[in-house]
Amino acid sequence: MNAHDSHRQGFSFTTALAALVVLMLLASQARAELLIRITEGADSAIPIAVVPFAESGAMPAGDRVSSIVQADLTMSGEFRPLEPSRMLSLPSQRSEVYFRDWRLLGQRYVLVGQLTRSGDRIEARYELFDVNREERILGETAGAPASNVRTLAHHISDRVYEAITGDPGVFSTKLAYVTVTGDGDNARYRLHVSDVDGKRSRIRLESREPILSPAWSPDGKQLAYVSFETGKPVVFTHELASGERKKVADFPGLNSAPAWSPDGKSMLLTLSKDGNAEIYRLDIASGNLTRMTNHWAIDTEGAWDHTGRGIYFTSDRSGGPQIYHMERAGAEPRRITFGSRYNARPRPDGKGEYVYYVHQRDRAFHIARTNLKNGEESVITRTESDESPSVSPNGRLLIYATQQNGTSVLTVVSANGGAAYSLPASDGDVREPAWGPIVR
Amino acid sequence: MKGHERETISTDTAPLKSPVVMSVALHLLIVGIALAGWSWTSPISEPEPRTISARLVSPEPRPSPVVDEQDQRDREQERRQQQEREHQQQEAERRRQQEEQARREAERQAQEQARQREEERKRQEAQARERAEQQAREQEAARQRAEAEAKERERQRAEEERRRQEEAKRKAEEEKRRQEERRRQEEAERKRQEEAARQEAERKRQEAERRLREQQLEALAEESRREREAEARRQQEAAAARAREAQMLSESEKYQALIRERLSQAWYPPSSATEDMSARVQITLLPTGELVNARLVSSSGNTAFDNSALGAVRSLSRYPIPSDRDTFERYFRQFTIEFNPQRLR
Amino acid sequence: MKLSVQTKAFAMLLSVGLVAGCSSTGDTMEDGTYGSDVAAIDQDGGSTVYGGADGDGVSSSRLSEEERQAARQQAEQQALRNITTFYFDFDTSEIKQEARDVLVAHAQFLANNPRQNVRLEGHADERGTKEYNLALGERRANAVQRFLIVNGASRGQIETVSYGEEKPAVRGSSESAWAQNRRVELVFK
Repeated sequence: MNAHDSHRQGFSFTTALAALVVLMLLASQARAELLIRITEGADSAIPIAVVPFAESGAMPAGDRVSSIVQADLTMSGEFRPLEPSRMLSLPSQRSEVYFRDWRLLGQRYVLVGQLTRSGDRIEARYELFDVNREERILGETAGAPASNVRTLAHHISDRVYEAITGDPGVFSTKLAYVTVTGDGDNARYRLHVSDVDGKRSRIRLESREPILSPAWSPDGKQLAYVSFETGKPVVFTHELASGERKKVADFPGLNSAPAWSPDGKSMLLTLSKDGNAEIYRLDIASGNLTRMTNHWAIDTEGAWDHTGRGIYFTSDRSGGPQIYHMERAGAEPRRITFGSRYNARPRPDGKGEYVYYVHQRDRAFHIARTNLKNGEESVITRTESDESPSVSPNGRLLIYATQQNGTSVLTVVSANGGAAYSLPASDGDVREPAWGPIVR
Repeated sequence: MKGHERETISTDTAPLKSPVVMSVALHLLIVGIALAGWSWTSPISEPEPRTISARLVSPEPRPSPVVDEQDQRDREQERRQQQEREHQQQEAERRRQQEEQARREAERQAQEQARQREEERKRQEAQARERAEQQAREQEAARQRAEAEAKERERQRAEEERRRQEEAKRKAEEEKRRQEERRRQEEAERKRQEEAARQEAERKRQEAERRLREQQLEALAEESRREREAEARRQQEAAAARAREAQMLSESEKYQALIRERLSQAWYPPSSATEDMSARVQITLLPTGELVNARLVSSSGNTAFDNSALGAVRSLSRYPIPSDRDTFERYFRQFTIEFNPQRLR
Repeated sequence: MKLSVQTKAFAMLLSVGLVAGCSSTGDTMEDGTYGSDVAAIDQDGGSTVYGGADGDGVSSSRLSEEERQAARQQAEQQALRNITTFYFDFDTSEIKQEARDVLVAHAQFLANNPRQNVRLEGHADERGTKEYNLALGERRANAVQRFLIVNGASRGQIETVSYGEEKPAVRGSSESAWAQNRRVELVFK
């Protein structure tokens, strides 16, 4: 029995040893296999073919869905759509897609689709293919009223963008901005809300007095803004669907710089009711005010950080305007910007990675950003007299106002400053853009 | 020692003497040359006046009066006759002298002949005497010879007999000795052959032994030689393998860089990528560089990121790979690519 | 003394007018007004002058002297009060020296006319951000308000508002336009 046992033990020992040797061999083999590390990607945008959709039934006049999608993807700065005239074929479904052809054209993705009119609605059936992997990565249907093909197109753009980049698309989001025409007594201030490409703009408020600082509620249903319609700056909220407005701050002195909290329940405001400009948190339901800053200097332009607890703001407590971060109300503010004498209006990216702001350098005003991890600052706009940065809800794009031929226009750039896209010009100055949230 | 010294001294003094010798020799030479020069010049200078005087005499004709040709001719004839007479006189004189000489010659010859005849007579007398004496000596000699010959013949006969007997005896002995010799030789031969056989056997045995030993040694030597060769070959192969390995490695690095570059250009990291995302794709290639298979072996956790990596890997229609088959097999048949952005746009 | 006040007022007018056009010139004017400026504040600071005007029984001869003086001062003050716009340097709310006499005159006027209200409109040039400029405009208006109160006006008479960079006096993106837009305007109602 004992001998048997020891024999068995010996056997299992040799087996274990053999197994170990095999493992070691495998390990050494695994080690020996070549590993190539790719640490940098292409510097250019992704080539994608947006094939004009097949259509059955009467389509509304105006831009075609695929053209809008193509324009959306171009505006993102991350895609380089192929001119339809260079396409070798115009497939509208999987069976018609010859990957080899698209590969020859250097395309990475192909979007095909069909539009069908049924009554007042347009139904879209679309598929997105990965040319190299020869796989369908998206296949969906979506519908919209015939009068809203843009909504349908922006939705498709969002779906395509998200399928490829992993980030949500922002093509269905809205922009709010202010235009000014005339001056003196003839001045007219108008608050607009439009698609993110500047199309389908609608005036929501018109005034002889200035309108400033539109801010979106997180649900995208309301705007807060500063209006001088009463002769002084007063903060209003404005429900877009109904047009219903409320004065939420009408204290002596300044009532300005509204910023909705991520939960939509409170709002940061700059008030000077207590002597000079300080930042307060207004509880919207109760109307209670909580003072956030307390300093003889100007403290304004509050913006919630991605945690929803801390705030970024502008203060000139160091002598000139600089960006500060405060982890919570009453905490000691920490200065963020040091690169120049003038840094103001912080706009965090919502991810805690970057904060964007207006930055003066060599007498010109640019939009710059600071990497919150390492404090590195980079100027991301090449234009001068740049103002009012607003970050897209996915953090990938930035819209700001700048001067062009003596008037103010809006420009969209990728968050790293790569691609720039100016929104269509409208009458007069265009200013104070505010990028709306993604509404599900 | 002394002589030696003297020798040394003498050799030492020789240079001291030599100027004297040379001076004497020089004076002698000068005197010699002077004498020679003098003796040369005197015979030349001596006959000169004579030659001149002779010339002076001969071309100085006696002034002759102008004569007519006839007269000249007569005188010429007269002079020729005169010369003829003189010549005849001289000839007669010469003939008389010759006759005198011949008479003296004949006289001398007659005396010589008489002396020769006397001598001849004396010589013949001596010869005759010589011949008589010779004859007597020869007769005596012949008699003695005959006598000696008879004795000799007798002695020869006896000698012959004795020689014959001796010869027979010698022959018999010889025969016996020859037989003895033959027998002995035969014995020796037999023994020799036996010995030879034995020696041959021994030699063969030794030879066999030696050969065996040699074979063993050879085998050993061969073995060690083979071992040495094998070792050398092993080392050579190892070195070659190392060199090859190094070459393959450097070759592989070149192509790794090429692949890295191509993939970097082909990779579009999605906007959702972060610097801590990493995806690994294992790929299998054909020796033509064509992709056989690409497999995600380690996900980044982000589908868009993983897809961007797979898309990049599949986008290369042909991978840059070394033409050398071994390097390809070693490194590029199957390898892994890691996508890990270090610098995001 | 009278002569000195008159010349001073004249110089002030000239000075302010020039400063409105170009804020960096007028050093000599400034020097000329500076010495008398302190005296003016001292004189005005003694609100007793106007307190005396309330009539606490003083000699007639002196009264007439004072009346004449007051009449002259009123004329001078009136001339000063024609100036209602005050300019500032970039990103500052400091009241310039040359603006002080004028503001003192306004303060005295307000003090003398308690029912008179004034609205201080603060402005900034277009450079920088709108919200910060709004605060900056307010700070300029507040600086003027404090000066007026210190010099006799009461808080209840004064209303401040900031328009930031929204209502420039001069259109354009030049140094001179910016200089004219960095201002506080007094609007009497």
